[in-house]
Amino acid sequence: MGRTRVAVDIGGTFTDICILDEASGRLRVAKVPSTPDPIDGALAGCADAGVDLSEVTLFSHGTTVATNALIMRKLPKTAMVCTRGFRDVIEIGNGTKEDLWDAYVDNPPPYLRRRDRLAVTERIDASGRVVTPLDEAEVRELARIIRKRGYVSVAVCFMNAYASGAHEKRCKALLEAALPGVSISTSSEVLAEIFEHDRFSTAVVNAVLHPVVGDYALNLQKRLRERGYANDLLLLHSGGGVMTPKTVHHQAARLASSGIAAGAIASRYIGTLCGFPNSVGLDMGGTSCDISLVADGEPVYTREWFIEYGHPICFPSIDVKTIGAGGGSLAWIDEAGSLRNGPDSAGSVPGPACYGRGGERPTNTDANLVLGRLGGGLVGGGLALDAALARTAIEKYVAGPMGMDPVTAAKAIIEVANANMADALRRVSIMRGHDPRDFALIAFGGAGALHGAALARELAIPTVIVPPHPGVTSAMGCLLVDIQHDLGQTFLAAAAEADPAVIEAEFLRLEDEARERLAKEGVAPAQMLLKRSLDMRYQGQWRSIAVPVGHGLDDVAPATAAFQDAHQREYGYRRDAAIEIFRLNLTAIGLTPKAGLARHPIAAHAFAPQATREVWFDESERALATPVYWRDDLPAGAAFDGPAIVDQFDSTTVVPPGARCTVDEWLNLRIAVKGAP
Amino acid sequence: MDDRTHRFQSSLDAVTFEVLRNALITIVDQMADQVRRTCYSFVVYNRDFSNALCDADGNTIAQGNQDLAAHVGTLHYTCKAVIAEFGEDIHEGDVFLINDPYSGGSHFSDTRVLVPIFHGGERIAFAQANGHWADMGGSVPGSFDVTARDMFKEGIRIPPVRIWRRGEYCYDVARLIAKNTRDPAAIIGDMDAQTQACKLAEREIGRLVRKYGVATMKTAFAEVQDYVERVVRNRIAALPDGSWSTVDYVDQDPAGEEGLIPVCVRMTIAGDAVNFDLTGSHGTIGSMYNSAFGGTYAGIVSGMKTFFPDIPLNSGLYRAVSVTVPDDTIVSARWPVAVSGFVMPFEKIMNSIFELWSRVMPERSLACAFNIEYLQTGGHDARFPERPFFMFYDWLSGGWGGRKGKDGLNVTSSCFGAGIMVQSVEGQERLCPVRVDQMEIATDSAGPGEWRGGVGLDKASTVLEVERAVISYFCDRERSVVWGLDGGLPSRPHGLWLEQNGVEQFLGAVFSDVPVVAGAKFRRGTAGGGGFGDPLDRDPLRVREDVADDYVSLERARTDYGVVLTVVDADLCEYAIDEAATQAERARIRAARRGRLAADAAHVAARYRAGELDILDAVRHYGVLCNWGTGELLPNSTAEFRRMMHERSARHWRD
Repeated sequence: MGRTRVAVDIGGTFTDICILDEASGRLRVAKVPSTPDPIDGALAGCADAGVDLSEVTLFSHGTTVATNALIMRKLPKTAMVCTRGFRDVIEIGNGTKEDLWDAYVDNPPPYLRRRDRLAVTERIDASGRVVTPLDEAEVRELARIIRKRGYVSVAVCFMNAYASGAHEKRCKALLEAALPGVSISTSSEVLAEIFEHDRFSTAVVNAVLHPVVGDYALNLQKRLRERGYANDLLLLHSGGGVMTPKTVHHQAARLASSGIAAGAIASRYIGTLCGFPNSVGLDMGGTSCDISLVADGEPVYTREWFIEYGHPICFPSIDVKTIGAGGGSLAWIDEAGSLRNGPDSAGSVPGPACYGRGGERPTNTDANLVLGRLGGGLVGGGLALDAALARTAIEKYVAGPMGMDPVTAAKAIIEVANANMADALRRVSIMRGHDPRDFALIAFGGAGALHGAALARELAIPTVIVPPHPGVTSAMGCLLVDIQHDLGQTFLAAAAEADPAVIEAEFLRLEDEARERLAKEGVAPAQMLLKRSLDMRYQGQWRSIAVPVGHGLDDVAPATAAFQDAHQREYGYRRDAAIEIFRLNLTAIGLTPKAGLARHPIAAHAFAPQATREVWFDESERALATPVYWRDDLPAGAAFDGPAIVDQFDSTTVVPPGARCTVDEWLNLRIAVKGAP
Repeated sequence: MDDRTHRFQSSLDAVTFEVLRNALITIVDQMADQVRRTCYSFVVYNRDFSNALCDADGNTIAQGNQDLAAHVGTLHYTCKAVIAEFGEDIHEGDVFLINDPYSGGSHFSDTRVLVPIFHGGERIAFAQANGHWADMGGSVPGSFDVTARDMFKEGIRIPPVRIWRRGEYCYDVARLIAKNTRDPAAIIGDMDAQTQACKLAEREIGRLVRKYGVATMKTAFAEVQDYVERVVRNRIAALPDGSWSTVDYVDQDPAGEEGLIPVCVRMTIAGDAVNFDLTGSHGTIGSMYNSAFGGTYAGIVSGMKTFFPDIPLNSGLYRAVSVTVPDDTIVSARWPVAVSGFVMPFEKIMNSIFELWSRVMPERSLACAFNIEYLQTGGHDARFPERPFFMFYDWLSGGWGGRKGKDGLNVTSSCFGAGIMVQSVEGQERLCPVRVDQMEIATDSAGPGEWRGGVGLDKASTVLEVERAVISYFCDRERSVVWGLDGGLPSRPHGLWLEQNGVEQFLGAVFSDVPVVAGAKFRRGTAGGGGFGDPLDRDPLRVREDVADDYVSLERARTDYGVVLTVVDADLCEYAIDEAATQAERARIRAARRGRLAADAAHVAARYRAGELDILDAVRHYGVLCNWGTGELLPNSTAEFRRMMHERSARHWRD
């Protein structure tokens, strides 16, 4: 076996492994159970799959280690050093509740208790001038307390540090000198941006995660090295790029939810490969559905992002909307008699009724089984599904109470699930102003391909693409990414009056820092790609839109025009009003060498369905005798009309009547959906 | 299901009904997304807004679930006001504007844009976007003049008017409105943002009509209301019939004699309906702290929704909730009585309803939450040669009431709208010549209880380079202190302290236009929530943890909870419970506490003045209210407050 790249996506239940042979572009996948020490499972999975780590050129990795540490509050002893009078910023937050109306539902508590938040006398004003000098004697006294209490990580978070980080820097130096072995970070080095809660929260998440993921990454890297892997471990982050363990201290917080970003990246990759610069990713699993969006080849980013409400992580992150719609989502009749679907899920225990593990209540999986869209088993037959149990559950909980027959009830369950997903998609902001007919829907995850065609119809999206291995698509996303850092600087100025030279100088400063970071990660100058953008808004508005700008900026007018167009597209109108710049953004990319996926010659060699199954579709009055294809039997170039079902090891694809399915040269299924409204 | 509950039956098929029910809510959510991304008003940006779809008759089909509480239950009134005004003279391409609190609105700042939605020449619905504009003119920036007694000091009243006529912009009308405010450009910006959000809804409704047909859509508009009505009536029917009443208070009538101003609420459940009777509430008062019917109704519905949080908001809910209130009270003011401060009676209604539902659903009990407060410092910014106008317009979070089995929510926005965002200090310091010296959780702010209230905040600021600057404060519960329930104790009084030219004065919770100079310092705190249950029953371990986190001081752990702690290691925040001393202290408090509530109030006030008792002792242990600056006793207010404390606290204590 020759040189390969390996991507490992460790989830709560399964560890997915993708292996790409560099010479042939051939992709292999493996799915193994996750282990208590996730590294054991990953390495065992690699060994099972016959990966020789000394042949691996790049090992990239998505992990839930950071997310789990946050949610379980399994965090190292961490302290915060704050400006006196402001030690509660991360607890005060912005005062809002996630559940506005239920007074018995609380926001998650802050990651650090109040007693772990220490205060020191100092103050800098909004222009960066010192109002009160840093009291160094107090810092030394705090060092004593920090040592005595045994903190291993400290976040220094001072007011207005985005305007001047001088006090934070000095405080850090004093603490570092006094506290060898303790990790000290500052809010201004993590995120030099205005708004203390956003910056402090990000800095604190970074500080609590740095020791966790730092240790984890070094341990994994060491074990990979022992097995012959010579390069740096690449860690996927929420911005859709990777980082090496060397810069974990800058962006550990970005490792929270790296797996969700992976799905979005894979979806973008597949869309782009297939000639769709615009695509919607639909990653539907057992309990939830992650929706992402790519417009003009770029994923949509957000800065309003968190693992737990009230504790923002303000690095730009790929915007993924998660809703409680998965195969295991429960269908139920509410107290007034309306049919609902989710967000509660049967989970994997007891699971859907058809699993025969004691689950009584009907789920989407049960409905799909009763409709014949799912066959008698999942995971290549490894998990048998009991259609009688599914039917009983639907009869008891939906069909009976609503006076329907079980098939009608099952159809109703799926239609409601699809409508919920369609509603979620409509709320993905960038959909506004984009013509759905220019989009492709990339359906993956275990259940995405069951629902993809119906959703595409509902949303007037003409094409559904189902990648070759829907169940491990996220892992594939880890294979195909570059090193990425995102830097920003608050910069407030009226666009008409802003001096391009000053903006250019600020960008150059950010670029120097970016190059330094990339160099530290081992990126050669020729492989560095720096992308600039300006956040702009109408003067007086509160939200901004990022507008890409080029290098050697000497005129702000083109950016202003681009902003007007973007506002028109997103919100349906433009204004004849003053425009201002709010922030400078720099995305620094270290290109990793790419290896393409194998292309298969379009050869119309014979293929035939393995079986025929009675399947009910939305529009059909009766079950249709439907050919069932085994995915591995379908060659590139294969084409057939719906109704059809494509079964494979980890997923099932529904091709409804009126749709046509073709297999492309990368072995994606492409479903042309007709009848979209 | 028993004979009092009924199942809802849609005439649409089950799937279509559920799909449309969700789709209509999604449209309102999309409107909210867009308003927040395009608004100009910082108040709107911080989430003081709401959106709705109304049917052809103005009834609400769907209102956003993340909307501000104080707007809930008012949007159908303003839609009906537009219909009443324009009747058949409503056309495709029209856009209407209204902010009239005397026609079901809340206050002038909440300005609603309405777009009628047509199909084939027939009006089938309205989209409505409502936002709190930053300024509506009137005598003070921000348009809250606490001294206003009628609307003529408050701002521009907009009865239903047309700002677009059949697709043509009525520039003259829009300009007339904008030019009556302090920031005309931003007003037009918000008008545009809200109009465009309604247009988005119009397009989405159009899409649904094309897909499902207009007949189905009209049926859905009606049936989603029927559905909610059914849910609400079933829930109410499952509860026992009965009648419960309570009273809460606004601090004072500045134009009347000293004494708390009662807001009375009686709730009656009969069958599958609930009635709220506000008879007995005080007449309108000589400040802007009055509410017209719209604001009052919002308080009732919001209070109720807190106990039925999953029930969607639309007119189906409002059909099951009736209100009885005589005219011209503090909760039923009519033109031209000032009502910009409607939120003060609004929050009293809401907290009263918390208490009333706590009687019906003890497992969801909720003591009183802190009261909203707004601070405005405005003047000219002397950091710049052109001396531009600046406005430091600030509000804080505070504590919510203790709950059954849970402490109250810490530092949360007020029940006026738990989605309102507290502003960033760094943002404020960039915009205003005011430096914030402290913004921190206030130790001992929580009302003591077996389950204490949530904690409130302290914020202190210094005025920097200013000219001709004034400060105003729009707050309450300086006297009608946030109360405890079922034996719990009050939290702490609101009020602002101003120090300038070497003198510190207490200005209280309501004042207007006090001049401030460069170097002036002012500080104020928000209350915590009221305690729930007897504080002497609180687990001492919880008290110890609160002390370790400085939520409660060592001293007040003893005086309020009777828990005596010893310091093991202050560096490590380690404390130990002295069990014997705690038992003794609790017995001592039990023996003394009823007597303290009956102690001679004048004597207590004298001890407060002498510094022997602090403000928390006076309120929590003696039920005595003073002018907190001079220490002068407020006898009428004290008598009323003690009666209230007896009902809510002392009556529940074990001896």
